Amino acid sequence: MFAYQLRLAFKSLRRNPVLSALMVVAIGLGIAVSTASVTIYHIYSSNPIPHKSDVLFHVEIDNWHPDRPFDSDHPERAPFQLSYRDVRALMQSQIPTYQTAAFRTELMVFPDGDEQRPFREIVRMCFSDFFLMFDVPFQYGHGWDDAADHAPEPVIVINSRTNLRLFGGANSVGRSLKIQDRYFTIIGVLAEWRPTPKHYDPTVNAFGEPEAIYMPFNFTPVFEITNYGNTWSWMSEPIDSHEEYLQSEILWIQMWVQLDDETQKQAYQDFLDAYVLEQKKQGRLSRPLNNRLLDVMATLEEREVVPDSTKSQLVVSLLFLVVCAINLIGILLGKFLSRAPEIGVRRALGASRRSVFIQHLIECEVIGVLGGSLGLALSVMVLNAINRMLSNGEQLHLDLTMVGAGLLLSLVAGLIAGIYPSWRICHVAPAVHLKMQ
Amino acid sequence: MIKMQGIRKIYRTEHVETHALDSFDLEVKSGEFISIMGPSGSGKTTLLNLIGLLDSFDRGSYVLDDEDVSTLSDRQMSRIRNLKIGFIFQTFNLIPDLNIFDNVDVPLRYRGMPAKERRVAIEEALATVGLASRKKHMPAQLSGGQQQRVAVARAFVGGPKLILADEPTGNLDSAMANDIMDLLEKINEQGTTVAMVTHDPDLAHRAPRQIHLLDGSLIDLETQDKPVPLINGVPVGLAKAGC
Repeated sequence: MFAYQLRLAFKSLRRNPVLSALMVVAIGLGIAVSTASVTIYHIYSSNPIPHKSDVLFHVEIDNWHPDRPFDSDHPERAPFQLSYRDVRALMQSQIPTYQTAAFRTELMVFPDGDEQRPFREIVRMCFSDFFLMFDVPFQYGHGWDDAADHAPEPVIVINSRTNLRLFGGANSVGRSLKIQDRYFTIIGVLAEWRPTPKHYDPTVNAFGEPEAIYMPFNFTPVFEITNYGNTWSWMSEPIDSHEEYLQSEILWIQMWVQLDDETQKQAYQDFLDAYVLEQKKQGRLSRPLNNRLLDVMATLEEREVVPDSTKSQLVVSLLFLVVCAINLIGILLGKFLSRAPEIGVRRALGASRRSVFIQHLIECEVIGVLGGSLGLALSVMVLNAINRMLSNGEQLHLDLTMVGAGLLLSLVAGLIAGIYPSWRICHVAPAVHLKMQ
Repeated sequence: MIKMQGIRKIYRTEHVETHALDSFDLEVKSGEFISIMGPSGSGKTTLLNLIGLLDSFDRGSYVLDDEDVSTLSDRQMSRIRNLKIGFIFQTFNLIPDLNIFDNVDVPLRYRGMPAKERRVAIEEALATVGLASRKKHMPAQLSGGQQQRVAVARAFVGGPKLILADEPTGNLDSAMANDIMDLLEKINEQGTTVAMVTHDPDLAHRAPRQIHLLDGSLIDLETQDKPVPLINGVPVGLAKAGC
């Protein structure tokens, strides 16, 4: 019966192709706008590492001004970054399964030969556990080990784009690359990797591309590296050297730990509290004890990665779809009621009200799905246009979930548009129309 | 087959009540062929709609094929229409964008019959009305008589117990009208009860039993004690009413 009713729906649409096209376009526009908005919201609010986001914790200690909170709107929150001296101390813990401090910087790269000029490149300073805890995929080679962390050894990992730029995409493991004034050996090349949002550091461009080069954290004092991202400080400190910078209360480093169960998490929480209490004795970290371990999703939520404007845009676009669907109600009502004599015949021949209702609802859903297909194609164009406007390259795209969401929205739109006209036509009195044909 | 007792049907508008049928009784036996005559507005079509479960009545009882249908749900009535009743209309009422085969297919679709059985039944029905070779034609490609033959095929394709024909020859010339009457008689001979509304006395008299309606009441010529004088086949009392 469904196939029969589907055939009748297409037959009905072909009866007045201009009107049908108009309705499909109306739904299509609504779906395009709403699917694009839902996609943006979906990407902004998605879990970038779902299989372990609940065991990865961002480490926060309240190292802000003694008399006022870091965020006056959310006084329970602590600063998102740590000072270098706190990081050095916290990295001594043996409790976490994995742990890394990390920050973003920019260094000079000197390619071999004369073909390419030196250039500045974004670099992430991190520990070896960074690759393990965030499941960073490798195309060639691997990350470095603990020994390379401690030495530090002059090894680096580069991403696939950098490998393509410098080595034409060939396996560059074992090749050397001069950074600043020193040659580093490439020991790993990342496969395509673009966590969205960039959970390990949402302080700068949470939807941007990950860094091009990864270098052992302990080169920070060697090259006197400072960060190339957000730096926070609540006090004025005279800083005349890099060493003074490292020993200051300036907050510029993120720290993550992997804690696989509650026992481990509690042990690390105790470790954090003990460290801060010890520092308090030395006159530091004067705020009330507020050491926090936030998992990935809590971190992203607290960092307000999804902008309020995106949420508003989502609501407005869904309302736009509803308006498009409501506008179709009148058109569908006129179209269906003009068919009352035919429905009278069908009722006389045995069609129940329910059957007539379903037949017309299917027609509305066909309009919805055709409109949805058009809308999905349009939304791809909308997202491509947005991607071109964004400086950090392509990041918005329709995945299967969003295609499913778009089709679901189109079914909902078809239902909104069709339920009243279908109800009206199934309640026409057949006897009235049989004589009038 | 049909047993109506004390049927009242009133059409109401904001200011006017029209009694279409009042205290109406009718009994039709299984296999009968009755013609229903009467002036315009006498309630013929209303009666046919009530018999065909296309309209509801305000008072009385109605037993169709030994089943009380006075208080059935829409779904139950649709089922009975689909299984037990075939309809033929004056204006043919074929669905214009379905071909002949698909038009005859409509009642079988609502019956949920398998495709193979439907095809056999439709081809047999079209062969009976002499249109087997036209099954792919659209209604607009057929003459009025041919269209009504398709409507007849659609009415009996599902093997109904009752066929209701509302002025089935009203839009046809006399030759085509006779063709349709021949078909109805043929169907009736096979045991199907036929109730036909007509304005044509000659066609009405081809039915073994004629009933006349006047202002919503029944004059059954067969059950009258005294013969009613006829003018052109119409009872004298009805002739003034403009029949």
